[in-house]
Amino acid sequence: MTTKELIRKIFFVEIFKGMALTFSRLFTHAVTRRYPHKIRRPAQPGFRGLHAWSGERCVGCKLCAGICPSQCIYIATETDKETKKLVVKKYDIEVLRCLFCSFCVEACPEGALALTEHYEYADYSREALYMTGEKLQANWDKYMTGKVEDYFKRFWVPREEFFKTPEEQAVFRGGR
Amino acid sequence: MFENIIRPETLEPVVRSVINIGIILINIAIIVGIALLHVAYATYFERKTIGHMQVRLGPIEVGPHGILQPIADGLKLLFKEDVIPQVADRTVFYIAPVIFFTAAMTSLAVIPFFEKFVIADINIGLLFLFAMSSLGAYGIVISGWASNSKYAFLGGLRSAAQVLSYEIPMGLSLVGVMIMAGSLNLSEIVKAQQGYPLGLYLIPQILGFVVFVIAMFAETGRCPFDLPEAESELVAGYFVEYSGFRFALFFLGEYVGMFIMSSIAVVCFLGGWTVPQFILGIPLIGDILSKVPGIIWFLLKVYFFIFLYYWVRATVPRYRYDQLMAIGWKILIPVALANIVITGLIKLWVKGMI
Repeated sequence: MTTKELIRKIFFVEIFKGMALTFSRLFTHAVTRRYPHKIRRPAQPGFRGLHAWSGERCVGCKLCAGICPSQCIYIATETDKETKKLVVKKYDIEVLRCLFCSFCVEACPEGALALTEHYEYADYSREALYMTGEKLQANWDKYMTGKVEDYFKRFWVPREEFFKTPEEQAVFRGGR
Repeated sequence: MFENIIRPETLEPVVRSVINIGIILINIAIIVGIALLHVAYATYFERKTIGHMQVRLGPIEVGPHGILQPIADGLKLLFKEDVIPQVADRTVFYIAPVIFFTAAMTSLAVIPFFEKFVIADINIGLLFLFAMSSLGAYGIVISGWASNSKYAFLGGLRSAAQVLSYEIPMGLSLVGVMIMAGSLNLSEIVKAQQGYPLGLYLIPQILGFVVFVIAMFAETGRCPFDLPEAESELVAGYFVEYSGFRFALFFLGEYVGMFIMSSIAVVCFLGGWTVPQFILGIPLIGDILSKVPGIIWFLLKVYFFIFLYYWVRATVPRYRYDQLMAIGWKILIPVALANIVITGLIKLWVKGMI
């Protein structure tokens, strides 16, 4: 151990340096965001939040229930005897089991299902998070009114231009 | 009858002793009340200080700037369920927190907060404080034993070894002060400091002061020597199995212990309730500051040490156990012994015996 090291050790140089740093931090602004009371921000566009479902658009094809990896969509349908059309009797989503993969939204041919940008729906009971058809319809009315077109256009229509071959590139473009 | 109260010497001895006991009880009530209030707000201050040092906010939601947080915490602890493990040794389990808390609170009796305000002005004040701080270790050890849990047991063992090891350098570091003051009475020690430069023992006893401060951290089991309750290793150490008000007793005892250690440091090295003399020397300001009551100076100095506890906690990581022992036995004890020899020789030289 050199003399310099010994002196550094005896006078706690390293510790005092660290303490000077922490002391200077004492007067800086905290980085904490006081979420519920001071700062409430809307989610980013395309955020997958609370489920919403439209009874008018749904045709009862059960594609969403079929693709669901956690199998948390429960659908019951019956055929209307006069019009010979499928009528959805029950459409429930168990939100506590959902993993927000959005496969159901992708699978839906009618655009009847959406994951809204609303994310503050924590609750104390399981029942409150078991979304029945009426609740899902209410969510649709509340969070999707006027946004439906935009939502599906922006996030669920395949973006062809991303996958198109640039015009200047020499490729086989079919016999003409 | 009224006349008798005014002139105590004419009172009957029995009445006089009853009045004395009454006065002592009032003093105790005042000190316990103030100490517990201080403990409550020491937790708040700790969380705020460390929070801001780590660029966080600390408690802020309960009341303005979270000022009511300690009260909310206290209420929560009072109404919590008191869980006792099935395999615990019940009698000992009940007694342990009481021993710990009593040992901590008893030490408050001999500390002179300001001139003539001390419950028991005994001549062995310093020894009494050592005895009580060691007795607190019993509470920790038997709580660890009685809980019948691995973590608590390891915490208790660690605490026993740590307190035993650091009791020695702490006692030795104060021997220098005893030699210089020629007394173990804490009020006498404060008065004896007036004859020295700056009115503090800090300058002549700087070695003892450094050793004492390091031993102080270890003795109260605070960071960076918080091995008995190392959260990342032992969950919470010796009081893992305690909940509700028994946990609160340990918590209170720990914080009162911090205040006791800070008070010893203030009384023995920083001149207790007296104003530092270099401040009194300044012309205009010195006159004003000399009128400030002693209790405020005492508390300011104690608050500085409490702040030091938090400051170090926010800065220094925990030492390894063998490092802790090495610091205690290989460095602090030899340094403290050297300090005693040097102080003793200088004292003899000043007296003209060498």
